Amino acid sequence: MTSGLGAALTIAKKDILIQFRKKFEAFSMFLFALIAVLAFSFALVTDGSVPQDVGSAMLWVIIFFTGMFGFAPIFLSESETGTLRGLATAPIPAWSVYLGKVVYGFILMGMVEIFLVPIISVLFGFSFMNDIPLLLAMMCVGTLDLAAVGSMASALTMPSESKATVFPLVYFPTATSGLMLLIEITKIIVIGPGLIPVMLIFGILLAHLIAMLTLSASVFHFALSP
Amino acid sequence: MSTKAVVTEELTRRYGYRVALRKVSLDFSLNGIQGLFGSNGAGKTTLMRVISTLLRPHGGTISVMGFDPQEEPEEVKRRIGLVGDKPLLYEELTGLENLRFYSKLYGLETQFFENQIEHLAPRFAIKSWLEEPVKNLSTGLKKRLDIVRSLIHNPELLLLDEPFSGLDKDTTSDFREYLEEYRDKRTTIVTTHNLAFGANLCDEYVTLRKGIVVAQGPIAEFDQSL
Repeated sequence: MTSGLGAALTIAKKDILIQFRKKFEAFSMFLFALIAVLAFSFALVTDGSVPQDVGSAMLWVIIFFTGMFGFAPIFLSESETGTLRGLATAPIPAWSVYLGKVVYGFILMGMVEIFLVPIISVLFGFSFMNDIPLLLAMMCVGTLDLAAVGSMASALTMPSESKATVFPLVYFPTATSGLMLLIEITKIIVIGPGLIPVMLIFGILLAHLIAMLTLSASVFHFALSP
Repeated sequence: MSTKAVVTEELTRRYGYRVALRKVSLDFSLNGIQGLFGSNGAGKTTLMRVISTLLRPHGGTISVMGFDPQEEPEEVKRRIGLVGDKPLLYEELTGLENLRFYSKLYGLETQFFENQIEHLAPRFAIKSWLEEPVKNLSTGLKKRLDIVRSLIHNPELLLLDEPFSGLDKDTTSDFREYLEEYRDKRTTIVTTHNLAFGANLCDEYVTLRKGIVVAQGPIAEFDQSL
């Protein structure tokens, strides 16, 4: 018998394999991220660098919008091809399907970020590497948070006829609170400590992630019903 | 142990204001091939979706292989195999990768999975196509592969929703032969609007019209005029 966690990893592995074979979706994400970084660097760089607070925000704004390319089709492709029915009739808990998609979204975005962060550092003229453990923790939790919100938004969008309109309507408001926390932590990494201790903000971000995962996983069986 | 594969009592399911199943009370015996007949829009697919846990009923009760699909969906899912109008296959994966993916979701042992492939692939003439990506296969081969997918975990109850539509003569004949071979070992519920074909294949039947059961019983009592 497959555990829920085992099923989630099987689903994530399957999606990554499909993504590697399709290439197009990942390529469009990379392309969008690259164009956005170049455009912002041309517009904002003065005296060899971007103001550090602006650069911190730009990093997450680019990741946030790049995520739209990656997260929106997470469930839509399964729904359109009918394979969602295969997942829905497999003897696995509904939350494992959701968790599998979150893990897939996390890995997909993680690959974009590995490429994006060094380029932004070079083009914006400052480093995010002042506190590497905090940077890694923030990138992991932040990306997981966006993947959790994006996957649920994609699932909620499935029954809609105007998917392109509905996805941002769900994704934007739910992801914005996490996004603001991520920008604040990045500013602390780049500029230095502010008035609010970083661990407090990180704790709130972690709570946001746990709330999103728990809430989404507990109601996800409704999304699997046609 | 119940002697019935599926029992419903006053089962009701609506789509908005439209009633798809209206207080449907029926039963399908264990083992044998059971026909679910009716014209388009009669409620056959809706009933199959309720049996396969894809849809929740709005009223009445249902028992599938002795389990309530609402209370113990995983017990029901473990026991059923479903073939619908669309193959539940991932186009970018090969046939074998698709089957392996589903086998993991069903928690099958590697040895059992390999035995099933050895048994089913030659039976449905797909052995030489298993390494090919599904997107390269013809519609008939995809259907054959989908049938193997539905049988990979050796389900006790096989749900076939218009399984013969789009199948060529050879595949129909192979599949029919297989179903007849397992007539005494497995329960198969087949929906069809081809009444002559259904009457020739099934042991018992239920006829639906506009969501209401209009006739049911042994196939010897089947009256096509209903």
